[in-house]
Amino acid sequence: MRIQPLLLALALLGLAGCANDPAPDEQLRLSEQALEQAKAVGATDQVAEFKLAEDKLTRARANMTSEDFRDARLRAEQAELDARLAEARVLTQKSEEQLELLQSRVKRLRKQLEVQP
Amino acid sequence: MKAVKPLAALTLLAVVGLQGCASQRSESALDEAGATFQKVKDDSDVLRSAPRDVIRAGESLARAERLSSYVGTGADVRHYAYLSQRYSEIAREHAKLAGNQERLAKLDLERQRLQLALREAKLASVQQQGKWLEAQIVSLATEQGDRGLVMTLGDVLFDTGRAELKNSASRTVLKLVQFLQLNPRRLVRIEGYTDSTGTAEDNLALSRDRAQAVADMLVDLGVDEKRIQVEGYGDQYPIEANASERGRAQNRRVEIVFSDDKGKLAPGR
Repeated sequence: MRIQPLLLALALLGLAGCANDPAPDEQLRLSEQALEQAKAVGATDQVAEFKLAEDKLTRARANMTSEDFRDARLRAEQAELDARLAEARVLTQKSEEQLELLQSRVKRLRKQLEVQP
Repeated sequence: MKAVKPLAALTLLAVVGLQGCASQRSESALDEAGATFQKVKDDSDVLRSAPRDVIRAGESLARAERLSSYVGTGADVRHYAYLSQRYSEIAREHAKLAGNQERLAKLDLERQRLQLALREAKLASVQQQGKWLEAQIVSLATEQGDRGLVMTLGDVLFDTGRAELKNSASRTVLKLVQFLQLNPRRLVRIEGYTDSTGTAEDNLALSRDRAQAVADMLVDLGVDEKRIQVEGYGDQYPIEANASERGRAQNRRVEIVFSDDKGKLAPGR
């Protein structure tokens, strides 16, 4: 009768062990890559999503050190998508600036053509 | 025992309450992600430019929904709802970018078309201006047989015995510069002449200095030196008798001899 709680405890521990994730090295690499790519197109802390990605990656690394692999994976996954969104936003922003510039040039050309005899 | 029961009930209530709060948060995250996904899924532009992200948004959403039917998975539900939301947003952003790039390409074509039109218009107006100037120069010049087109600058351009160009010369010289710029293949020979007052030697030097003064001004105004020849003839080749003051004034002059438009200049005297 005394052995039963002990077994139960062991079983629980075993389950917990199973539930523990393996180290998400690959995911961290992916997230780092996504951040690098966002930085390469010109994302900075000024872009909210990029700041989020940086913070989450930092926390994911801390989780790796303390071997909280589940938290590390979740944060790294979110960081990856945050970084990808930041990259996309920066690119869209740039294309909008280009559009504005081109629009003003076309407008100026039209005006000059009107003035021509 | 009796005292313990209410405590246990309270604890149970608290746990249930907390669970309720947590699942409420998960539910609103799930609803939000679902609504965002619905919008991108129904947008053909988004589907076309970022199909993979739309699919992933759907997969993550399905996973979050599946997890939400189990107890104690609130954090995971929120996580996958978050990922789905992000995938949808990324897809939308890609669609926006693709749309902008399409517009950029169209605008660039438009810009090229307008630039061409403007260049043509400007060219036409320059050609017109060139014709007008040419008419002006021709009206100031005369055709002199084998010497070609010759333009005579009278002695009003110089004070007696001086070689510096007077300010009143500027207009004529400017016209000359414009004409040469519009006709880049034409060359000129600038020839100086004097009346018969003074020694032949002095007159030769004076005539050359006057021609050089005109040439210098042309160069200062941007005409290539290589296109200009300078010659001094002193009191030779008078066009009037030096007997009268009027005749002498006519003989004090600078003549500009133009080449034809292929750069062929008549030889000097």
